[in-house]
Amino acid sequence: MSKEKPFPEYRRKLGPGWWLSNSHFTRYMIREWTSFFVALFSLIYIYEISLFASGAKDSALALMRNPGIIAFNIVALPFTLYHAFTWFYLIGKVQPIKLGKTTSKPWQALLVNIVLLLIISYAVIQILVLR
Amino acid sequence: MSQDIATIRVTRYRPEKDGKPFFQDYKVPYRKDMVVLDALNYIKANLDGTLTYRWSCRMGVCGSCGANVDGVPKLTCASFLHEFKGRTIKVEPLTHFSVIKDLVVNMDDFMHKLVEIKPWIIKEKESPPEEGEYRQSAEELERYAQFSSCINCMLCYSACPVYGLNEKFLGPAAIALAYRYIEDSRDEGKDVRFPIVHELEGVWECTLVGECSVVCPKGVDPMLAIQKTKILGATNALKSLVMPRGGK
Amino acid sequence: MMPKVARLHAILWGVFSMGGFIAAFLLPVLIYLVGIAYPLGLWPMAGGDPTSAILSHHHIGTLFLFVTVAGSLYHGIFRFQSTLTELGLAPAKRALEAIGYLIIILGILAVAYYLLLLNPSVLSLP
Repeated sequence: MSKEKPFPEYRRKLGPGWWLSNSHFTRYMIREWTSFFVALFSLIYIYEISLFASGAKDSALALMRNPGIIAFNIVALPFTLYHAFTWFYLIGKVQPIKLGKTTSKPWQALLVNIVLLLIISYAVIQILVLR
Repeated sequence: MSQDIATIRVTRYRPEKDGKPFFQDYKVPYRKDMVVLDALNYIKANLDGTLTYRWSCRMGVCGSCGANVDGVPKLTCASFLHEFKGRTIKVEPLTHFSVIKDLVVNMDDFMHKLVEIKPWIIKEKESPPEEGEYRQSAEELERYAQFSSCINCMLCYSACPVYGLNEKFLGPAAIALAYRYIEDSRDEGKDVRFPIVHELEGVWECTLVGECSVVCPKGVDPMLAIQKTKILGATNALKSLVMPRGGK
Repeated sequence: MMPKVARLHAILWGVFSMGGFIAAFLLPVLIYLVGIAYPLGLWPMAGGDPTSAILSHHHIGTLFLFVTVAGSLYHGIFRFQSTLTELGLAPAKRALEAIGYLIIILGILAVAYYLLLLNPSVLSLP
């Protein structure tokens, strides 16, 4: 038997717009783009800490009050929260907790972790800022 | 019984004549209990004998009749025509695989990956049959049962954009099946299987899109298997970093 | 035994995953305090700036800033470079990874260095 293929197969390639073809993919892409805001905020804040450390506290504070930076942060916060919520949900999918015969559902992990997030955030404010 | 007419828009690719696939519409009368596969069979029997597609069992067991129905990877034997009432039903070959003819795709890549993960129980030393079977409790069975339901229909590969972008990726079904053996209490093949699934084009390529688990017609959750395998890999690697000689 | 490259990748993924937890649980409050509450004068930042307030708690404040910023930076860059490969930059995959890890290493070294400058006594921790 000959191993030669008599006719060519038709190959398809996935274009850069693939994530628009299906609403699940679009939501996935939004979830992945949260990383852009997480990373950029971290970089900006590292720069601000460097200004603090080199004695330029005033320019660090001026940078924080820059309207462009404020606008970025107002967008970055909901994206970071979206990262948190999707992360919590996925924890519930990957590591469900078994209690007797019932297994926890992903939305329960989401709720429990949101409460945990609120407690941690409040603790940070109480311990590190208000005290 | 009342009859409706469905318009089926099927991808045709005739490699001996066409350089590119095109769509062809067929009108198919149907009853409430008819599925897309029945429509394809109707076309082949009554309208166009040249239409080519794979099928066998008609009952969601053999896994050979997968196609993109209305843009979503599905078993054509499990997609009812009446669910698309009033719309043209697009039937295309499974995405990401190269097309041989019409709805028939090349499965070689998947078949190689399936063998690569060694989908059988590996024993360091086989015990003779006289010593009896390898026993397993109901709890031990439950740990991997869902992952053993795979019928190799490749819908998960068709749904996976990571596979579409990099065909070297081991992919959902193969990793889920590898995990089925990793989690099997009778299996002793971890040392053989871990290097394969933890290879660079193994689990680490996955970015958790999750669509594989959405389209699986047998309720397998490959996304879960891949994540569990990643966690096993990361904890093993960290352990070997902390105790280079100790735990495996 | 895992192949060496894969073992390294497994560890890098483990850190990415930890960074995901850090970005989920600790980053939102930092963005709110530094980026929104301070410049707009909202609760609880009427008055002083949050960075000084957090750093005034010496070790725990310094540790909080380091863990939050380093973990989030690692998580964010690691994930974003793989997102770019999915948006058509796959041919540049290796280059993107290299740039990503460079930013991560430089960023983490920078934040560690500047936090040490601000609070040198953190080194005397047991």
